[in-house]
Amino acid sequence: MRSVFKHHQTKRLFIGLLIFLLYPISNFAQEGDALKGKDLYNANCAACHQLDKKLVGPPLKKIGEKRDQKWLLKWIKDSQALIKSGDKDAIAIYEEYNKIPMTAFPNLSDQDIFDILAYTDSDVILGADGKPIDEAYENGKKVFQTNCAACHKLERKLIGPPLGNISDKRQMPWLKSFIKDSQAMIKAGDPDAVAIYEEYQKVLMLPFPQLSDKDIEDVIHYTTLGDNEETVQLDAELNNEDLELYKKWILRFVAGLILLIVIIVIVSTKNTFLRLLAIMFFMIGFAYYTFSWLFQIGVDKEYQPIQPIAFSHKIHSGDNKIDCQYCHSSAKHSKMSEIPSANVCMNCHKSISEYKGILYDGYDKAYYDGEIQKLYDAVGWDKTNAKYKENYEEKPIKWIRIHNLPDFAYFNHAQHVTAGKVDCKQCHGKVEEMHEVKQFAPLTMGWCVDCHRTTEVPMKSNKYYEEIHKALAKKLGKEKITVADMGGLECGKCHH
Amino acid sequence: MASDKKYWKSLEELDTNNTIVERLRNDEFVEELPIDEFLGNKESLDNSSTTRRDFLKFVGFTTVAASVAACEGPVVKSIPYVVKPEEVVPGVADFYASTMFDGFDFASILVKVREGRPIKIEPNKLAGGSTNARVQASVLSLYDNNRLKGPKINGKEIEWHEVDSQITSKLNQLSVEGKEIVILTGTLASPSTAELITNFKNKFRNVKHIQYDAVSESGAVEAFETMYGVRALPNYDFSKVETVVSFGADFLGDWQGGGFDADFAKTRVPKDGKMSKHIQFEANLSLTGANSDKRVKTKPSEQAFALINLYNKITESNLPSKNTSVDKEVEKAAKQLKAAGSKALVVCGNNDKNLQLLTLSINKALQSEVIDVVATRNIRNGVDSDVKTLVADMHAGKVGALLMYQTNPVYTMPASTNFTEALKKVTLTVAFSMNENETATVTQYALATPHYLESWGDVSAKNGNYNLIQPTINPLFNTNQFQDCLLRWTGSGETYYDYLKKYWEKNILTNASWNQTLHDGFYISSPKQQTSIKSVDLNSVASEINKNYNFNGFELVFYTKTGLGDGQMANNPWLQEFPDPITRTSWDNYATISTVDAKKLGLQNFHVSNGALNGSRVTITVGKTSLKEVPVFIQPGQAEGTIGLAVGYGRTKGMKQEMMTGVNAFYLNDGFKSLQQATIEKAVGIHEFACVQLHHTMMGRDIIKETTLETFNDTNVDPAKSWNKKAHVSLDHKNVEASTVTLWDEHDTTIGHRFNLSIDLNACTGCGACVIACHAENNVPVVGKAEIRNSRDMHWLRIDRYYSSDMNDDVAEELQLGVLDKFDQMEIASDNPEVAFQPVMCQHCNNAPCETVCPVAATTHGHQGQNQMTYNRCVGTRYCANNCPYKVRRFNWFKYKENDEFDYHMNDDLGRMVLNPDVVVRSRGVMEKCSMCIQKTQLAILEAKKDGRPIADGEFQTACSSACSSSAIVFGDVNDKTSQIAKLVEDQRAYHLLDAIGTKPNVVYQAKVRNTNES
Repeated sequence: MRSVFKHHQTKRLFIGLLIFLLYPISNFAQEGDALKGKDLYNANCAACHQLDKKLVGPPLKKIGEKRDQKWLLKWIKDSQALIKSGDKDAIAIYEEYNKIPMTAFPNLSDQDIFDILAYTDSDVILGADGKPIDEAYENGKKVFQTNCAACHKLERKLIGPPLGNISDKRQMPWLKSFIKDSQAMIKAGDPDAVAIYEEYQKVLMLPFPQLSDKDIEDVIHYTTLGDNEETVQLDAELNNEDLELYKKWILRFVAGLILLIVIIVIVSTKNTFLRLLAIMFFMIGFAYYTFSWLFQIGVDKEYQPIQPIAFSHKIHSGDNKIDCQYCHSSAKHSKMSEIPSANVCMNCHKSISEYKGILYDGYDKAYYDGEIQKLYDAVGWDKTNAKYKENYEEKPIKWIRIHNLPDFAYFNHAQHVTAGKVDCKQCHGKVEEMHEVKQFAPLTMGWCVDCHRTTEVPMKSNKYYEEIHKALAKKLGKEKITVADMGGLECGKCHH
Repeated sequence: MASDKKYWKSLEELDTNNTIVERLRNDEFVEELPIDEFLGNKESLDNSSTTRRDFLKFVGFTTVAASVAACEGPVVKSIPYVVKPEEVVPGVADFYASTMFDGFDFASILVKVREGRPIKIEPNKLAGGSTNARVQASVLSLYDNNRLKGPKINGKEIEWHEVDSQITSKLNQLSVEGKEIVILTGTLASPSTAELITNFKNKFRNVKHIQYDAVSESGAVEAFETMYGVRALPNYDFSKVETVVSFGADFLGDWQGGGFDADFAKTRVPKDGKMSKHIQFEANLSLTGANSDKRVKTKPSEQAFALINLYNKITESNLPSKNTSVDKEVEKAAKQLKAAGSKALVVCGNNDKNLQLLTLSINKALQSEVIDVVATRNIRNGVDSDVKTLVADMHAGKVGALLMYQTNPVYTMPASTNFTEALKKVTLTVAFSMNENETATVTQYALATPHYLESWGDVSAKNGNYNLIQPTINPLFNTNQFQDCLLRWTGSGETYYDYLKKYWEKNILTNASWNQTLHDGFYISSPKQQTSIKSVDLNSVASEINKNYNFNGFELVFYTKTGLGDGQMANNPWLQEFPDPITRTSWDNYATISTVDAKKLGLQNFHVSNGALNGSRVTITVGKTSLKEVPVFIQPGQAEGTIGLAVGYGRTKGMKQEMMTGVNAFYLNDGFKSLQQATIEKAVGIHEFACVQLHHTMMGRDIIKETTLETFNDTNVDPAKSWNKKAHVSLDHKNVEASTVTLWDEHDTTIGHRFNLSIDLNACTGCGACVIACHAENNVPVVGKAEIRNSRDMHWLRIDRYYSSDMNDDVAEELQLGVLDKFDQMEIASDNPEVAFQPVMCQHCNNAPCETVCPVAATTHGHQGQNQMTYNRCVGTRYCANNCPYKVRRFNWFKYKENDEFDYHMNDDLGRMVLNPDVVVRSRGVMEKCSMCIQKTQLAILEAKKDGRPIADGEFQTACSSACSSSAIVFGDVNDKTSQIAKLVEDQRAYHLLDAIGTKPNVVYQAKVRNTNES
């Protein structure tokens, strides 16, 4: 029965592979990709050419319309050969541009050249999303994020004023001089500058003399347009959970079938031996299942309680790639990995007050923003004024503990994370794929001990282990020393 | 064989008319059994459709349903900080340097804080600090549920601002009226508080500050003042001692504030063939006397004359005196003192100025360099005459206001002062107190003060030494420091913290930063020079002694116990359950009396069938006051004609019922003397003791090996063949050393760490700091007096005390005694026995008898030498405890946590805050025992692994080894050949306890050496 599903999977994979392989062929055409072309252009051509002006070489705007494609191919790959062959156009250009031969680009493939031509010929460049790329906007956004975003947001106050549509309020020259040296303006007594200075608790803005006028213009352009990204709705993902569920049901079905047969045998047959056998089988089976059932008591694998805040590890750890130990910082120092205190959350959420990522499982942005608001309620953060409320009675967040070891078992995170260099995943699973965390490991003693039996202790470059490694390697006659060899199976090490 | 004889069960059967007999013949019970009453209406029972089978079905169903429902795990909440303090990492302990001084005990300490909760006190070794049992236990008093939780006026709760306004207005009024305002405190020794009190004096003018020590050293303070012009105590550097003679001074205990044991222990370990000589003249068998080389039983009145005689012998002068029964010993002592020259010292425990003057004069005559008159001690500063004047003034109605802080006079004042009546004549009475003690319940205001672990403060216990007290937890209750109140009442807006910091930066810290000092906990500057040495007319001193010490009748000597001290922490279950090192009795104080006197008075101590000790009671009368129902403990070594009685017991207010134990000895302390003439009378009734040691002697076995210094130094004597003989057994009819024979497979002991613990019986004074440290570190439960009587104490570490006996094999042979008679007599301690202490915990045998008998393998052996006890695996067969030759295993007969039957700290949320989160709290029905602090060794290893470095010697510590101020307990890794422990294990004094059984323990003892040299 199992094979059916396997087959299914392979077929799906096969079709996928086929589509993947066929894709580039179907896409092959003279058209060229303007986006790729831009990169190639910048890397190879921009040293000597501009689009709309002469530089060392001629302007290349709409060059594809002036020249024949084949000619261009030849010229770019080896212009000197073309000149030598006596091509008129080629010689004319050679003459016009002070007999400086163009560098040959044999490394560029035909497709590359088509891409470059697509770029030079197009009026607007389309982005990956199929929309035109606004270079000023892109540059402005980049500059904004590297220089301004630490203190400014577009729509709200942070340390400094909101910058959305700032051009409506201020003139460009004023902005330029303020950004380059605000202090000088304040000293000079510019009324607007002084007013801002007063309003924002007399915190001086850093001067940015390194920004060019173009950069500043781009930034202003960006602030005027604002973030026009749209949040993307994700399709329901294919997952393996269904498969697991199927397997479970099939097992149950088989077990039920066997049970039925056994019962039928017991009831119908008159063969005493067969009957005895069936009864014995039934008893053993029953005992086996009872025992397995009893043994899972207190084993809370897959325990996934609903938390007071729908904190998604997938968004934080998966999408935004925040390191586990940024928040769970004591895992490397302490026996506890520690649920981060709310002030750790606020390190980022001071500036991230609304959710702009992927909307999962049909939740809307308001839902996610509401969850962030719960954090603000806990710590007393006023997001409109971007500061903590005064005399606010903080409300600690009452998380529900997922991994519960009994009191008599001592576990130390630092021992595993720092000394043992065990990856968090090994015991907690792929947390970066879980919205709500669930218990991945059974946390039974058997599970602990299995790992201690097989895991090699990372002894290299740790001076503590030097002596003991030498002695143990000699005694056991092996280089790899497991936790068990070190006494990691002794009762008292974890039960004291 | 059949018989027609008839036997009557009782006389009634002969009476044929007796109805009861008739009824009994037919029914089992005479009365009608109330079955209907029990089961309800018979009629409705008959009509009920519930049959017996239905009933069983219901019972079965509910049982199953309940057990299935119980399978559901509880939802556990985990609540992180909202804003986490920077220095807190959950699961990692922080240590803060602080100081404990409660007017009685002083210690430089490190406070171990987990998640904001102080859970353990360690000595601050950087500051040379050492801790005793009380200091170790003081952390539990922080979590005392009977603490005063807010300010009160006449028993009703009140707000602090009301307190402030009411008291300041009253003080102002009294100040205007010109009435006297008295601040009565224990010894404060706080420079900043002294200045605060001066400010207070300036504001309210007619103010007096009187310091009052319940356990007074007034005689010594006054004597020092007379001779050296400073009201203080001299300091002693006991590490320099070669010969010390003590007259009733318990200098290893609480004498003059204590803290000398660590230095003295250094001289007790034989080094280069030398060790100090210690002679003790005393009445009670004290901890110090028990550790002495020679102990002379002497009545206190004789001690006085013996001291004069000693002075006469040393200085060859002729002060008036009279002959005593110990003059021969005094002569010998004088000879030895002279021989030691400047390394000699004489100390005296009597709170009498004349005797103290004489002692100081002897030390001066000896030119003793042990005594330090420059860096004086401020640890006891009270002068009794001031207190007497105050009480008289109060009775006369001269005192307008009495503010009391760090003192409990209603409890500690002798009955003759009638202090409670005097208090009624004072217009304004205020008690600053941590609990509603005897004083705080009778004053108008009871103002709640924080515990020292919640407070700021400073102490200058020694001239030139300054220690800081810093809070390690936010105040648990609505409390205010005495100093903060003074600041507010004098109209200053400052907090005490600001005041303290400013004061230190201005007056104390010359070239050190506040932060560094706070981090270290102490600051040392050079002491101010002493000015004058005045001459004293010793003739008049001696003649006064002659006049004062013509005693007849019983002499009652007060002493402080190692457990409770002056009784401030009487509500501390750890201290109550702590067995006294000498009597091995907990939960009590009692009159100790000599065997001879007991016989004369018909007083008895006897064991009852479960092994517990019972004793007679007496009434003790001093002057007009008598103390009734005082239990009697017959104490070997007690001087005839004397009674010892510990103070600190008999508290009755602000504590749990179980802790109200013993009798209040302060009651009899007429005139604040440390000794009284008393009469004693047998009273009716039997007292039940909680004594943990049944046997007093070793009965001829060498449990403690000992030798004399002479033999020890004799190079011709091979210790292995004489005083440190290894046990031998017979193998194939050949006599071989026991250690060479074994039934077990040997463990590989060469790889990794191998933990050993060494206990030096010479350095161990039996102080018991380790017992409390172990209690605190390992969450050992308190079981209470009744369970101790059942021999169910839970101490993982006990300190056995053995007396010597006059009987031994040679004597028995001489007297031609039978074996049984011999052993009978061996159990009787000598009249003035030699005493030895031996801390015993799990010996962590390499060939452990307990491991082989456990049916579930709950106790196993670790690679690192620890015998591991797995509580969750234990099913409670107790085979291991039966098979343990050292009797160190403890069984949880009951659930000792959250159980009203054991209403100690583990029964309330507050008390449980002291529990160490790294050690599990054991449940009922499991065995437990010393783990060699595996949680601490594992942590030390982990820290090294994290840093990637080898472990240095001294990093491995157990709770007992780090609490041991005399370095008697040393712990470490014997596979580290450079470590101290590796050397100790190889020492010629080293031996294993009961080595004949071949258990090969990882605990090693260092044999005791006594300095019997008398020349």
